[in-house]
Amino acid sequence: MNSDTSHKQVSFTFLTIMFQELKAILKDEGVLLFFLFLPIGYPLLYSWIYNNEVVREVPVALVDNSHSSLSRTFVEKLDASPDVCVAYKCADMLEAQSLIGHSKAYGIIYIPADFDRNIGRLQQAHVSVYCDMSYMLTYKAIFGAATAVALDMGADIQKKLLGNKTDREDQISTSPLAYEEVPIFNTTSGYGNFILPGVLVLIIQQAILLGVGMIAGTEREKGFANYAGKKDGSKLMQAIGMLGGKAMAYALIFSVMLAWITLAVPHIFGFVSMVHGKDLFLFLTPYLLACIFFAITFSEMVRYRESVMLIVVFTSVPLLFMSGVSWPQSNIPAVWQGVATLFPSSFGIRGFLRMSSMGALLPDVATEFKALWIQVAVYASTALFVVWRRVKMGCNV
Amino acid sequence: MEQPNKITALLKREAGILLHHPIYIICMVVLPTLVTLFFTSLMNEGQPTDMPIGIVDNDNTAVTRKLTRMIDGFQSSHVVAHYPTIDDARKSIQRNEIYGFIYFPEHMTQDLLSARQPKMSIYYSNVSLTAGALLYKEMKTLCSLGSAAVGQSTLLAKGATKEQTTAFLQPITLDAHNVGNPWVSYNIYLSTMMMPTCLLLFVFLMTAYSLGTEIKFGTHKEWLQMAGNNFALALFTKLLPQTIVFLFTMAVGVVYMFGVLHFPAPGGLLHIIFLCTLSVIAAQGFAVFMFGLIPSLRMAMSMCSLWGVLSFSLIGTTYPIFAMDAPLQAITWLFPIRHYYIIYQLCVFNDYPLTDATPAIIALMCFAILPAFVIRRMKKAFYEFGYQP
Repeated sequence: MNSDTSHKQVSFTFLTIMFQELKAILKDEGVLLFFLFLPIGYPLLYSWIYNNEVVREVPVALVDNSHSSLSRTFVEKLDASPDVCVAYKCADMLEAQSLIGHSKAYGIIYIPADFDRNIGRLQQAHVSVYCDMSYMLTYKAIFGAATAVALDMGADIQKKLLGNKTDREDQISTSPLAYEEVPIFNTTSGYGNFILPGVLVLIIQQAILLGVGMIAGTEREKGFANYAGKKDGSKLMQAIGMLGGKAMAYALIFSVMLAWITLAVPHIFGFVSMVHGKDLFLFLTPYLLACIFFAITFSEMVRYRESVMLIVVFTSVPLLFMSGVSWPQSNIPAVWQGVATLFPSSFGIRGFLRMSSMGALLPDVATEFKALWIQVAVYASTALFVVWRRVKMGCNV
Repeated sequence: MEQPNKITALLKREAGILLHHPIYIICMVVLPTLVTLFFTSLMNEGQPTDMPIGIVDNDNTAVTRKLTRMIDGFQSSHVVAHYPTIDDARKSIQRNEIYGFIYFPEHMTQDLLSARQPKMSIYYSNVSLTAGALLYKEMKTLCSLGSAAVGQSTLLAKGATKEQTTAFLQPITLDAHNVGNPWVSYNIYLSTMMMPTCLLLFVFLMTAYSLGTEIKFGTHKEWLQMAGNNFALALFTKLLPQTIVFLFTMAVGVVYMFGVLHFPAPGGLLHIIFLCTLSVIAAQGFAVFMFGLIPSLRMAMSMCSLWGVLSFSLIGTTYPIFAMDAPLQAITWLFPIRHYYIIYQLCVFNDYPLTDATPAIIALMCFAILPAFVIRRMKKAFYEFGYQP
């Protein structure tokens, strides 16, 4: 009977504290900015930035010293490719270089004077491609298109020399071993589809870190007076109630935000989303809990309400890289692999990315799923310790 | 107090603030340097090498095994597993064990030798764009080499010379000139952009923080009194020590990347020094302007965070600006880092004269003088408004 009433009391404090916390959040403009505006607005902004997905019609400058019908064919084919646009025809390399210097072109195609003569003499002809390496996507576009054109024209030249009777013979002799290219996931090589799932999941963690950190900073400025409960009650029970209530309030807000970010945003912008509802729900639960408990633990580092921004904001890009989105996970040095395990975002991004872009199911992301639950356990205990200390400090005020 | 004494006293006061509150040194020196070390060590390889791929070999002959060994020997790929079916290999990608695989169909060798044009398949995942692009390139090379090997043996058997064979198999070759970064190193490409972007983010935040905390802790009255209520002087002496500290941090990054790691910088040291100084001052000017517009510590810092974080995308390094929607292309002008990158790319990385980057230089100078427009408003904020949480 006795244990039953104490149980009731705890759940009662849970709800009271949850409502108190929600009220406090609603009154604090700064926290609202992080809890509502950031997770709602940022995904839209980022989706807009990467909405076009691919780089098309990269302007290049042409220096054609061959002035032959073959060199013109090369240029026409290059210009016809979707990735490159031959925007300038220059008299010499100096002129072409100055176009790069004025950011009007991102590469130079140089066709030497002996281009068609070499082909006529059955010698290898050369085409030089100069790329501005300060943009990796334009380099890939220019070099990829030029390679394709060189291969295509090469095959035509071969066919003429071979003098085969049928088309089939031509096909076989120019490419005896055919091959099919299958970009199995993210089939369009889209930049948005590649970077956004990671960014979206990261936004949740950063928003929670910022908001919870700001709340803790404000509370610290007031000496954690709001943590003080009844004088006679156990401090540990009080701390459990406090932690549970706060976590519930945050979970309530961010489960909505997670749904918005993982389901609505990809739908609105037409990003690839192959998630399975139940698996996604099961996976995001530990992610959300890990983020919340991690944020409460982390908030111990925040002295004033505003200083949270100083330590959280810059971490976004390093955390994104640690998850293995840009730089493949297999090639991240061991030290940073280790550091990455400290953050829920590393596992959250890896798991969500594979679920949404590759249609992976829960068993496929088992490693990440387990790691997140371990984080939940570890950070829940550290968070409890943090809150327990605050309860003690609050009682002393 | 006389003017010179006043200035010394104010500078001393600011230096004291920077030294006595650890958050300043942490955010102005330690964290930015840590970020530089993070990115340079993360991408130490330059290009990701030996990424895991799989093989689905339904033919299992000397030829397919040779192709397998060849791809394994390439720079980016490393064969880690063989799978009985395509389905198994696909699942392995979903479990993050491999980034791509090659499929050799049954009777491939037989069909190849009897000129029936067999078809092999290369599968690669673009979910990591970097890994996908590199693996695609190598797998494609493997396929062309496979075809060329057949053609070569046929031609040699017919009595062609080595030169004739090469000229026939590849009539047109491309000479790639990857200007400035011949290794296509991602470290050179990305770290040089991450360091300044991150530093300017801290310039934004710390400028707003140092101004706002004066109001928050009520020290602004003493501060302005020391400056003899000359607000411009107070502001100048507050920012100058910070400029010096930020330039020091930037110098550490520059020396490490261009001196120790030998990243190419054909534009030379003078261009780098000019660029760093100008962009730090421009970022400070921008942050003061933000604070002048919204003289609340929290809001000014929030706006600065927004600007700082968006800088990583709108700098236009990884995803070029001209591929974005037109309104966004215009918005990038409002980001100091965008102009930093234009100048860096033209005058440091590609060694063009500074005059080629004139618009960007003028833009950065405009950012630097922005505080002049809000100084009256700011003064009012400091004298009349209090701290708003």
